[in-house]
Amino acid sequence: MHLRPRLRYLVVLGLAGLVLAAVGVTAAQSKPLAANHSTASTILDGTTDTVTNVDPAGNYDYGSGTVDILIYQHLLDLNAGSTIPAPSLATGCKANASVTVWTCTLRKGVKFSNGDPFTSTDVKWSFDRVNKIHDPSGIWGLISNLKSVTTSGPYSVSFHLSTAQSTWPYILATGAGEIVDHKVYPATKLVANTDVKDLVGTGPYTLSKFTPGQQAVFAPNPNYAGENGKLANGGLIITYYSKSSTMKLDLQKGTIDMAFRDFTPTEYTALGKTSGVTLYKGKGVGIRYLVLNVKRAPTNKLAVRKAIAYLFPRQDIATRVYHGQVQPLYSMPPAGLPGHTNAFGELYGMAPNAAKAKAVLAAGHIKTPVPLTVWWTPSHYGDASADEYTEIQRSLNASGLFKVTLKSAEWATYSKTLGTQYGAFQLGWFPDYPDAEDYITPFYGTKSNFTSNGYSNAKMDAIIKNEEGAKTLAQRLTYIKQAQVIAAQDAPIIPYWQNSMLVVGRSNIHNMKKTIDLDYLMRFWLLSKS
Amino acid sequence: MATAAVRLQRRTVGIRRALAPIAEARGMARTMLWTGVGMTLVFVLLAIFAPLLSPYGFDQYTSGGHRFAQLAHPSHAHLFGTTVQSTDVLSRIVWGAQTELEVVGLALAFGLVVGVPLGLIAGYFGGPFDRGTVLFMDAMFAFPPLLLAIVIAFLLGGSVNSGVLVAAIAITITYIPQYFRVVRNHVISVREEPYVEAARALGAKPFTILRRYVFFNVVQNVPVIATLNAADAVLTLTALGFLGYGVQPTQGAEWGYDVSRAVSDAASGIWWTGLFPGLAIVLLVTGLTLLGEGLNETINPVLRRRSIRQVDFAAPSMDAGAELLEA
Amino acid sequence: MNQGSSLKRYAITRLALVVPMVFILLTLVFLLMRVAPGNPVSASLGGHAPPAVIKEISHQLGYDKPVYVQYGHYLGQIIRGNFGTTISDRRSVGSIILVNGAATLELTFFAMIVAVFVGMLIGLLSGRYRDSPLDTGGRLFGIVVYATPVFFLGLLAQLIFGVWLGWLPISDQASPITQALLQTHTNIFFLDAIIDGNWSALWDITQHLILPATTLGIVYGGVFIRLIRVNVIRTMKEDYIEAARARGIKERSVVYHHAFRNALVPVITVVGLQLALLLGGAILTETTFNWPGLGHELYIYLQNRDYAAVQGIVVVFALVVVAASIVIDFANAFIDPRVRY
Repeated sequence: MHLRPRLRYLVVLGLAGLVLAAVGVTAAQSKPLAANHSTASTILDGTTDTVTNVDPAGNYDYGSGTVDILIYQHLLDLNAGSTIPAPSLATGCKANASVTVWTCTLRKGVKFSNGDPFTSTDVKWSFDRVNKIHDPSGIWGLISNLKSVTTSGPYSVSFHLSTAQSTWPYILATGAGEIVDHKVYPATKLVANTDVKDLVGTGPYTLSKFTPGQQAVFAPNPNYAGENGKLANGGLIITYYSKSSTMKLDLQKGTIDMAFRDFTPTEYTALGKTSGVTLYKGKGVGIRYLVLNVKRAPTNKLAVRKAIAYLFPRQDIATRVYHGQVQPLYSMPPAGLPGHTNAFGELYGMAPNAAKAKAVLAAGHIKTPVPLTVWWTPSHYGDASADEYTEIQRSLNASGLFKVTLKSAEWATYSKTLGTQYGAFQLGWFPDYPDAEDYITPFYGTKSNFTSNGYSNAKMDAIIKNEEGAKTLAQRLTYIKQAQVIAAQDAPIIPYWQNSMLVVGRSNIHNMKKTIDLDYLMRFWLLSKS
Repeated sequence: MATAAVRLQRRTVGIRRALAPIAEARGMARTMLWTGVGMTLVFVLLAIFAPLLSPYGFDQYTSGGHRFAQLAHPSHAHLFGTTVQSTDVLSRIVWGAQTELEVVGLALAFGLVVGVPLGLIAGYFGGPFDRGTVLFMDAMFAFPPLLLAIVIAFLLGGSVNSGVLVAAIAITITYIPQYFRVVRNHVISVREEPYVEAARALGAKPFTILRRYVFFNVVQNVPVIATLNAADAVLTLTALGFLGYGVQPTQGAEWGYDVSRAVSDAASGIWWTGLFPGLAIVLLVTGLTLLGEGLNETINPVLRRRSIRQVDFAAPSMDAGAELLEA
Repeated sequence: MNQGSSLKRYAITRLALVVPMVFILLTLVFLLMRVAPGNPVSASLGGHAPPAVIKEISHQLGYDKPVYVQYGHYLGQIIRGNFGTTISDRRSVGSIILVNGAATLELTFFAMIVAVFVGMLIGLLSGRYRDSPLDTGGRLFGIVVYATPVFFLGLLAQLIFGVWLGWLPISDQASPITQALLQTHTNIFFLDAIIDGNWSALWDITQHLILPATTLGIVYGGVFIRLIRVNVIRTMKEDYIEAARARGIKERSVVYHHAFRNALVPVITVVGLQLALLLGGAILTETTFNWPGLGHELYIYLQNRDYAAVQGIVVVFALVVVAASIVIDFANAFIDPRVRY
């Protein structure tokens, strides 16, 4: 044997080994990067959300919205602890007698982060450009009721609506109502995400760096006046993750201080038990529901839909699949919002009832077991969708009344098809604004139905019309309650859970509870880091 | 008058000649070959006898009227533990073997049926068909293979009901360029051989030549490529499953999908849902690779080693010069 | 026919083939994307907006036009050199290639170093000492490591080295604050830190590179082990090796100066091809380690049916692969006259 060639390689190996050992040892002792004063109070957040466009005229998704509320403000904002829009850039908004014109008085002395003064010109500009740009994200759909915006002096603006709408203040508080600087933002084009210097707003932070798909870096805005709460930290970095498991490991290691949206149920449970980490939980406004096609067999028969409503395993899903992280839901508007009633619970019972399901099928002369194909989508609503639908299949099959076949399709195919081909399918909803109205109109109005399940009920259309035109909250709530009763009777959609607002933070993050409420907004500026 | 035994011998001459290298294999090649055969055979048996060998169904969550525990540790009742859907991990491994081998078998079959004839025709006849096909195949090579498989899975997922078929076709399409290229190149080198030219001179029709001379010469390569491709195909299938395409979880157990669900478990200290499917993938692919490598070592003349018979020069005899073959 | 013009002819023929090849790929991608069910609008708004709105936006973007019209428009854009901007997040395809391509390049480069190092070390030894326990061990290592799905290996690496031992970071190219403070020059973090002389950032970046590059590198190292070993065996059988031994040259010298060097020549070809393949195929590694590479981006855009993004990235990627294979073929043709057309 010739030793020398081997020896050479052994030496190389040995050196490599030494290098690795050096890395290991020093890595274990290495300090984080030069922590100067400002970076020590920078909050490090992780999320699996994605950002499409930062420019408010160009996005309609939650991830972009999270970034936007940090750098922009609205005329009226949903502040911590309240679901009623409160004065922010406006000191007050009033409607005229017919609720078709809303006039807002603007706050004086507000400056954008680049020093430009905030006036009514900026308001008109912001709303006009949303319509002019008409972005494919569809954000302009939120202000479809807006006919025109007029200004009268630098501190007064009027919104002229096509039809009466008493919930217009809520629309002002959505992403379509974010106020931008008319001197910087083009009227017909979006500002690119990487032009951070031009993404000027009046909010608590400025966007100092944006790397698509990787991170967004925020620095305090010195011109922020604190209308939505005082800024309690020195900056924020949001790191974007593609897998929640990687995010969880980073949270445990301390690479990030907190994470908001979204972990799997198993991960949340494990995080709740990890030391040094706290799982914050509050009521949420996202819902999950099963859409039934009223034009296709077998769900075109009311008896079949009622039977599914009687059998639906809400409690099983909430405990077995989500470990208590979601609550069973008995009506489309979730519990916690004014006007919510347990309509499905009152009509079909709070727990599954196989006997009544059998009876209703017999009364309708439906042969059992009813063959039913239920569709779901694997990743858009989280990996636990697989477990959720397995649970539904098991319960329906176990009753002997149904024979459920599960089918799935990836999101782009799924979202294109929906009610045009599927007989029963999964969908989830997150509201544009936290009001019960936003849970009725998109699903039960003949023309406004998002699900393409063919549902059309003239009585329901009339109630919706009345609700939209009602002038007081009390009136609206009456109509909303009526709508929920009919929704349960017709059962074209079966709501089954509402989520919780879940945030995970390490022990060095404080004030988290302040921002956990039904608005479901992550107000990072309220948090402090020790 | 030839006896039955001699007649049988004559008829099987071709096969025996083809299989001869395997019988003559020695040393490392032989060990690899037979280890590979053994490991692959284990999975093939698991796949075929899944209904008998598996303790439960792949999506079974109850037994004797009571539900399995969720994410239970490996125990007497569940040797490999249970998953988040309360299904038995061991059963999913066994049934998963069936899924994997079904898909890979189909994919291989399709690939060979399409790629080999294409390669033969393009290689032998040349001309514009050859150039066009080569161009097309080269273009497909430039497309990242996993992504191509995913796109095909999208395309077919809506119309084809069987996830197994969707995955098989997706994998086939990514491998056809390889089969095509290898076969074509071999055919090009073979068609200039003297015996092929002789056959042409004798007036044999092109398809006859292809059938009797070229095909058998070229097909020698195929088992090695097919086995190594089978190993790669399993990896592609599990990658598709990991990303959520191909075989849907409600249609059958798939190891890659199980690993993808197990990733969030692993981050929470639950190791059995991911370790076992992962090991299954490693073992099956290793078995197939060993089989392929072993075949390569035995058939490929460059690597082939035959046994050396020691010759005693001290005592010259007529048989001494018999075989003195060295690798 | 003298050598010079034959080589030139080969070069011209080869380059001339690029255009039809890219054209076929363009058409292939276009057709696949259009035929696949779903479009970018429904992917972002399906179930979230009224069908009328979805229809209006689809019309605005021209997706309801006949396929051949859309194809014509698409080709027109490509010819003008405008690879387009993505539909979902308005990034130009060029910037995606620059930023995410740089990340992939960084990862692939270091992974290749690991792969070649592992492959060479084990492959050379295995081939030289054929059938010894070293050979068996080396080959088995190469086979098993290639058989391990990269997502599985990556997860194990993260758990062992990142969490339980706590030695190394498990995600991204750098820690959040380092990345926030890093100045962008080439988009390759490693180089950017060197350019700025930011040594603490360089250290942070190197640590972040170790797990993903090693995971990916070891898997591909398995391929190289097999390749190099076979080449060494083949080379050791050559006549000139036998001749060298007969001339009385020491075995060590024979092995080193003759066998090993010649065995490594085809490796360059394979490295080139694998590099090109890795550029788009490292999706699984990138997803596991949250590495913002091109493969991962392509995958996300594919899921969102972002036509412009997918078409643009695949075309540029194909050009890279084609360029790499041309360079390699050309190098081979230069060396070996038999290869030319």
